[in-house]
Amino acid sequence: MSGPRTQTFRPLTLADRIIHVIEWLAACFVGIVAADIFISVLLRKFFNTSIPDSYDAGRLLLGVLIFWGIAATSYRGGHITVDLVWSAAGPKLKRFIDVFATLVLLFVVTVQTIMLFDKVRLTYQDNVLTYDLNLPTWPLFALAWLGDVCAVILIAFRAWRLVFSPELLHEEHAEDKAQE
Amino acid sequence: MNTDVIAVGGFVVLFILMLLRVPVGMAMGLVGVVGYSMIAGTGPALKLIGQTSMRTVTDYTFGVIPMFMLMGAFVSVSGVSKELFRAANATIGHLRGGLGMATVLACGGFAAICGSSVATAATFSTVAYPEMRRYGYPQSFSTGVIAAGGTLGAMLPPSTVLAVYAVITQQDIGKLFMAGVLPGLLAMSMYVLTIVAIVAVAPKLLPAGEKKPWAERLEAMKDVWPSLVLFIFVIGGLYGGFFTPTEAGGVGAGGAFILGVVRRKLDRAGIRTALLQATRTAAAVFTVLIGALLFGYFLTITQTPQKLTGFLTGLGIGRYGVLALIMVMYLVLGCLMDAMAMIILTVPIIFPVIMQLGFDPIWFGVIIVMTVELGLIHPPVGMNVFVIKSVVPEVTFTTIFKGVIPFVVTDIIRLVILIAFPVIALWLPSRM
Repeated sequence: MSGPRTQTFRPLTLADRIIHVIEWLAACFVGIVAADIFISVLLRKFFNTSIPDSYDAGRLLLGVLIFWGIAATSYRGGHITVDLVWSAAGPKLKRFIDVFATLVLLFVVTVQTIMLFDKVRLTYQDNVLTYDLNLPTWPLFALAWLGDVCAVILIAFRAWRLVFSPELLHEEHAEDKAQE
Repeated sequence: MNTDVIAVGGFVVLFILMLLRVPVGMAMGLVGVVGYSMIAGTGPALKLIGQTSMRTVTDYTFGVIPMFMLMGAFVSVSGVSKELFRAANATIGHLRGGLGMATVLACGGFAAICGSSVATAATFSTVAYPEMRRYGYPQSFSTGVIAAGGTLGAMLPPSTVLAVYAVITQQDIGKLFMAGVLPGLLAMSMYVLTIVAIVAVAPKLLPAGEKKPWAERLEAMKDVWPSLVLFIFVIGGLYGGFFTPTEAGGVGAGGAFILGVVRRKLDRAGIRTALLQATRTAAAVFTVLIGALLFGYFLTITQTPQKLTGFLTGLGIGRYGVLALIMVMYLVLGCLMDAMAMIILTVPIIFPVIMQLGFDPIWFGVIIVMTVELGLIHPPVGMNVFVIKSVVPEVTFTTIFKGVIPFVVTDIIRLVILIAFPVIALWLPSRM
């Protein structure tokens, strides 16, 4: 584990930077949701007051963080998978399986994104409001939907890299693990 | 087309997709929607996608999952695993087999905060394994005890797997967390007793460690108390009805963050790592949850659970016979997929059977999670064993499985005890 590393680091491309920004945004949303819940509980239990719309903000931001998180996770190949066949396969079959799985993922997430847009549109049309401040909820739904759009773009990019330059994808995995 | 044919075809396609490494959640969602559309039409099936996805990710109750994950990530990045092992080792490491017992206790403590079996096994492969080897413990025992200790993560609260089970079966998350406490403590005690038995049979196998002076023991304990207080505060608050589960997770995450920063264990890089870890894991779990809910509609429209219930209850093997059959199925599935995937895929189908047979849903959650966790360590494929192998590549799979066997036997005995005495799991929830 702690042996000398001979890994070479290549400069980050624009695509890499975009991926990092998306990951960071998702990570920030987790922090914001945690802070919202933590502060709300403290205020309610010890000061008998509350943040207006804390509940609605918490649940809607949860949606935002999950969809942005799915974008990051999909690109990194971090979903829960059954690796039984893959781990026993040779390099060529492994690559075929990876490409096939990524294309199916791309199809499913694309359909999901289209259908989610419908949900955002309906929320806007119905003018669904938050409980305390009566603020429209559609902007947060739209923000969550944007995360799913990012997921589609990143999965397509992953598929592209898997087909044409798989070494770049593997290198990113190695960098990622080294950072963690 | 006949609904039975569609149902069977759906399961076949689902397994093919999963074996071709399509993410479990996506495969379930795809098969669920396509199968549903074949019966109810494409329009209603497509509508389910948008509604179910958004409803799942904006459900405040489900916030418990990322919040406890974030708490675990902050605590993990803060180096609590090392502190726990140091404290346990300083206290009992001088006994024969003491380092193994210390590993079990530290795994239990860490798992109680982190909530993940695989993460616990991976962490202690780097923390406890080198120390056990330094004192001459065999490779098989050292890796075996870590693999077994790792499984405590799914039982002791806050367990992610139990939370997901609660979400799928619409049970009270707080009650399920509490139901895991006594079985988790029982598991720890039985693992320690297993080590005592190994020492009794082969005293020279597990040498005694160095005896630490009292001052050093107390010093080591000092590092542990903040995490202990946080755990007691969060789980105690949940038990006492002071917090909802999601609030408990948020308070835990906030508390772990503050403790890490105040104790200078959490720097900017650590915070970044923890946030990213929690985001990725939560996204992966929610993907499977969305897929499971979509697949659930397919199961409902094909009436698969009802048909399976009719089939199993018609076998004439009694309710415990059916339970045994289900558990064997989980052990076999444990060779194919990880705990979370197994729970999410099978519980929607199995749960109605369990209800029909009159078993308690909370108790069944504990039993099923224990069975699934057994799948993490039993041969020929155990996820924890694979994780340990990846961290300690010089040890062979055969060696690890050899070390795991005594703990597998212990787990089977524990399962029998819990089936015979459901009160062990149900006593604490009944007091809430």
